[in-house]
Amino acid sequence: MYGENGAQMRTELAALLRQHRIMRRLAEDSSAERAAAGQQILRYRQTIVVWCAQAIGLARPLTFPNIPQKPADPFRAASDHGAAVAELARALQGAREQATTRPASSEEFTTPSANTVVEHWRLAARAAALAEHDTAPDQAIHLTAAQARTIAGDVAAISQALVVLDRRYRNTPGWEPLAGCDRLGWAALATALDVSLGQPDYSVDQTGWRPRTKPIGGPAKPGVLGVLQAEHNLLVRLASFPDAMNLRLVVDSQRLLSAGLAPYAERIDPDLARQWRARAETYSRIQRELRNVGGRLGNGKAAAGEAANAVSRLKALPPETVVEPRMLGGFQTLFRRLDSRITEILECGVERGAFVQRVTVPRLVTGDGRLVHLVRERFVPVARAADLAVIRTAREHLRPPEEPSVSSAGTSRADLHAALIHRPPAKGAQSDVPGL
Amino acid sequence: MLLPHAQTLAQARSFVAALADRALTLEASSAYERALLELDRVHGDECPALDTEDLTDDRDILLAVASNAIEELESYGIDPLSVELILAMLVDAHDLDIG
Repeated sequence: MYGENGAQMRTELAALLRQHRIMRRLAEDSSAERAAAGQQILRYRQTIVVWCAQAIGLARPLTFPNIPQKPADPFRAASDHGAAVAELARALQGAREQATTRPASSEEFTTPSANTVVEHWRLAARAAALAEHDTAPDQAIHLTAAQARTIAGDVAAISQALVVLDRRYRNTPGWEPLAGCDRLGWAALATALDVSLGQPDYSVDQTGWRPRTKPIGGPAKPGVLGVLQAEHNLLVRLASFPDAMNLRLVVDSQRLLSAGLAPYAERIDPDLARQWRARAETYSRIQRELRNVGGRLGNGKAAAGEAANAVSRLKALPPETVVEPRMLGGFQTLFRRLDSRITEILECGVERGAFVQRVTVPRLVTGDGRLVHLVRERFVPVARAADLAVIRTAREHLRPPEEPSVSSAGTSRADLHAALIHRPPAKGAQSDVPGL
Repeated sequence: MLLPHAQTLAQARSFVAALADRALTLEASSAYERALLELDRVHGDECPALDTEDLTDDRDILLAVASNAIEELESYGIDPLSVELILAMLVDAHDLDIG
């Protein structure tokens, strides 16, 4: 997730920014050791620069300059002078291309170092390498302009940190300064200012690469856990598109499950039981409305199997079983996700023509010169999704309400900004000792 | 599928669906639904639309006409074993329904 990797990068860079008198920290006296540590740090820094250049490239098409656009001149090539993000992207690209150091290898990312300075760099570089997943082009298609602005702001702060650190490490033997360091610093500042004119959207932290959800294999777990296991597996299996008949089986299982689990929930949370009864009602309605929907595209056999597992395991539960509140919460989470997935399947299926509507036979083709009159038409594609009763029901009753996402800037951003202007305590001052 | 077959199938589907709608318990309704799904599966989901409007509320009559329509499907080339299985599912569902 971008939030985790970005926060790790910022935390490590903030820790590095708070370290002064670097030469003594790299190695006590030996110049050769300092040079070796310096080279290692350069490789780590190159990885971070590579990520910055990639991430700003991702954010750039979605960020718009705040200066008003002049009327386009058709006789000149489009130019976006003054766009700070474009300048930062160019500066980062320059720094990346002109560096003679190669980025660190995966082996270097995974080998801890005894030196704390190098270790901080290693962790920051590792987070940068992982964040390449989160800002890959395939993730970019989901970004909004406000989220892209947040990424641009983050890259600007990290670039600024790299510039400050570059100045501080200049005396290291064999150090290679960042190419176009000054320009990069100013471009980062301008980008940060430009971004602050708009309202950033920190929900970008929730986006990015996530490990795939896998089905829980093995034999059935005992009791309610077995039902939870099957329900989880059903959700995973529904990732592939089911055909209409298997979807009807899944829908049928959900109404049985909701209605069957409601008495168990009643003892602990009557409100939840009421919600589940309403859910069972909704699924009964959807089931009725799906009878006249057909379609053979898709598969969904595995999903139908898991749905049957869930129902049969629920039926095998002894009535006196106590379902813990945590498990009820688990069911509620799974139900919400399933509801939203089934709504999505219905909408998407109708939209792409995988689901068609059965209609009453309009008329026979008579007088076509044949002895046997064939039924003319049995299925019609749905012209507008909202025409179908099942889509209306799914939209109005099934789709779970949007959960308000917690999107605050997080402490790591504020911490990095504070570390950028951090000053070492004055000589002689002993801040750790309370004054007399 | 020719017209008489389609008509019989549409009747069978409508009667089973009406039974599912008028069942007293959720389990019985679900059992009727599964019989209906089996009917659709036997036909490879190539079925005419159903219509449960204006059908009687008497479940015994509905069961009789549904069984009759399903049995009639045999004469249109549907596998007799499948027909028997669907009938058995229907009877099981009815047992659940009357408790």
